[in-house]
Amino acid sequence: MSSKIALFFRESWLLMVSSVFFGGLLAVTNTAWAPKIAQNEINKFNNLARLLLPAAEKFEPLQDNITLELQGGKSVMDFGGGKSIRADVRKGLDASGNCVGWAFVCEGSGFADKIKLVVAADAQFKTLLGFGVLSSNETPGFGDKINIKDGFYQAQFKGVPAAPLTLAKFGDDKKIDSEIIAITGATVTSQSVINILNQFVEPIQKQLTEKNLINP
Amino acid sequence: MADKQLTVGNTFTAGIWSENPVLRLLLGMCPTLAVTTGTKAALTMGLSVIFVLICSNLVVSLMRNLLKPHLRIMMFTLTIAAFVTIADLFLKAYLPEMSAKLGPYIPLIIVNCIIICRAEACASKNGPWISVIDGLAYGIGFTVVLCILASIREVLSTGRIFETVQVMPGGFVPWAGMAMPVGAFVTLGLMLGLVNLATKKKA
Repeated sequence: MSSKIALFFRESWLLMVSSVFFGGLLAVTNTAWAPKIAQNEINKFNNLARLLLPAAEKFEPLQDNITLELQGGKSVMDFGGGKSIRADVRKGLDASGNCVGWAFVCEGSGFADKIKLVVAADAQFKTLLGFGVLSSNETPGFGDKINIKDGFYQAQFKGVPAAPLTLAKFGDDKKIDSEIIAITGATVTSQSVINILNQFVEPIQKQLTEKNLINP
Repeated sequence: MADKQLTVGNTFTAGIWSENPVLRLLLGMCPTLAVTTGTKAALTMGLSVIFVLICSNLVVSLMRNLLKPHLRIMMFTLTIAAFVTIADLFLKAYLPEMSAKLGPYIPLIIVNCIIICRAEACASKNGPWISVIDGLAYGIGFTVVLCILASIREVLSTGRIFETVQVMPGGFVPWAGMAMPVGAFVTLGLMLGLVNLATKKKA
């Protein structure tokens, strides 16, 4: 038995020592850079949210949990049906601490990869103030047009009601209502953004109302 | 290469030209095709690969006499994964936009054939000095090809290079296809054809 243990250590000591060494190296590196990485993510959210909600000085995370039950995908989009996630909802506060709106992160499947958005709503959560893209990997020249700040697609979401949205292939994109006109050649991506918003907006609005967090 | 006496000069020549990982060995095709939509992304990927190649070659070379044959691939992977994770964390901390743009392709350096190839072919058989030079040479060879491919694709798909420098005249109509996978395959194919033509190598 002891000879087997000796053989085991003789054969694998280098692997064990290296694992401990590299594990320690990674732990030190991670400890050193983790705060900066976390700050970068906060900055990215804040920069996008401030563009949508310029009156907000800071974005305060909610103390109450806003939990969403994700529904299963009905078409090509799959949201991972049955999953329960905690939504990252933040209150936009002006210099005097008054709530001037809400910003939250939402995500779902796009055409090529996951799409992660920052969405802003007014203080009463009745109107959306637009969205910004935190991350996406949509088709260059087509689906990636959802990233264009103030492009025709993003502009259609500024002022839409915080209610289910629908997609149309043709129509007047200047008219602000719950019908969004798709990007030509990127219907799936256009539909994905709408599905993501439909998945998150109403449940968040409902829970904020139930928790009396929305000012009447 | 294996039969020659390894010197700094012939190691560099091999890494950059005669055994260029992309143009001659056709290794590392995944990042070559995937991250060459922009020159900045290609340069970042290339520099990350240089860092990982140098560090992994150095460590593998230092432990070459202790390596057990049946554990060597595991040791190479462990070493490479550690340095790739460091490179990934560095990009997330100091170049977050580039990290987001490169997405999974930085962690995928772990399975990049160039790195494990150099660990096996050079670092596990040679001293630290020549292994570091080998890592640098093959890394530069990879980076140069990535940057050339990316600059051709970026110029033709946007009219600019490094995202901001306008290269093409005002009336230029961007070729959307060059930003898509088809652009990468066509451009790489033409580059391979040109290199084969230049070296009179028959297909």
